[in-house]
Amino acid sequence: MHITMVKKIKEDGQPCRKCNDVMGKLERSGQIASIDHITDADERNPSSEGMHLAQHHGVELAPFFIVRDSDGEEKIYTSYLKLVREVLNGKVSQREELMELTERVGSLDYI
Amino acid sequence: MALSNLEITTLADQYKNSEPQEILKLALESYDNIAVSFSGAEDVVLIDLAARIGKDVRVFTLDTGRLHPETYAYLEQVRERYDVAIEVASPDHNELEPFLAEKGMFSFFEDGHKECCSIRKVGPLRRKLATLDAWITGQRHDQSNTRTDVPVVQVDPAFSSEANSLVKFNPIANWSSQQVWDYIRENEVPYNPLHAKGFDSIGCEPCTRPILPNQHEREGRWWWEDAKEKECGLHSGNLKK
Repeated sequence: MHITMVKKIKEDGQPCRKCNDVMGKLERSGQIASIDHITDADERNPSSEGMHLAQHHGVELAPFFIVRDSDGEEKIYTSYLKLVREVLNGKVSQREELMELTERVGSLDYI
Repeated sequence: MALSNLEITTLADQYKNSEPQEILKLALESYDNIAVSFSGAEDVVLIDLAARIGKDVRVFTLDTGRLHPETYAYLEQVRERYDVAIEVASPDHNELEPFLAEKGMFSFFEDGHKECCSIRKVGPLRRKLATLDAWITGQRHDQSNTRTDVPVVQVDPAFSSEANSLVKFNPIANWSSQQVWDYIRENEVPYNPLHAKGFDSIGCEPCTRPILPNQHEREGRWWWEDAKEKECGLHSGNLKK
């Protein structure tokens, strides 16, 4: 299995907050060791590897993960917690789950 | 009667230009285990419309613990006016207490509002919706750019599980703020007094403020946050063609 993480660099050159959060969680949990390749989708550079991967896989949110199994099949995870649960065999707290739900579903922003 | 996903898609198209009364009637006739989500603001029109249809309707609200005193008083006013038992969903103390101990009462000014909202609003909402087959919201296209495409009926994209489809009806999705307020005035529907003080959008007390004429109601919420900081999208315009 091979896991690629694509994180976003904003137009101002700063990493997106969500990507930073996820990086922090991966590092604190030690799960970063399971990520084989980390690359940037740099909004200032449409030719960056991450922008290319986003376009290729039709992904519109960052960060996202590309998981390639031993048969070469690729699966995209736009949810970090889903990756933790399904691929990294980690545990997800209710607080993390709710936070991700709030962040991912735009219309919940306004209830 | 539960509607299949295909039926819901068909109905969304069939009812997309229908009046709120028709959509609400469809909702209440299609589901027994259904409730209106009431925020304590102008979505009160849903309760009034349901009362006029003559159907008993369940109503629930989310008490975040940080609402304005005016909103609590208004919830009581609505409860009495429509003789409806408003079911209150509150934050899970197992989530809230450690959060407050760790971050204090005003962490949203520093860390952004979403963590607090996830505990005080989204958690209770998810718990409540897990008990229902369908719900009715006051979401409208003109409220924010996250709602411009909300259909009048849909399989709830956020709270459906793999095992159970939750159906969401949005009867006033096509109404503008002006139409909502015309309805409230014409029908003498009680409204939250905060509206008269310039609050177009009413949420928690620390996170809501009055706005000026011609400001979008979204500007009355979380004004201290940088809009760009909330943006996690990869802009297709920037993708290499």
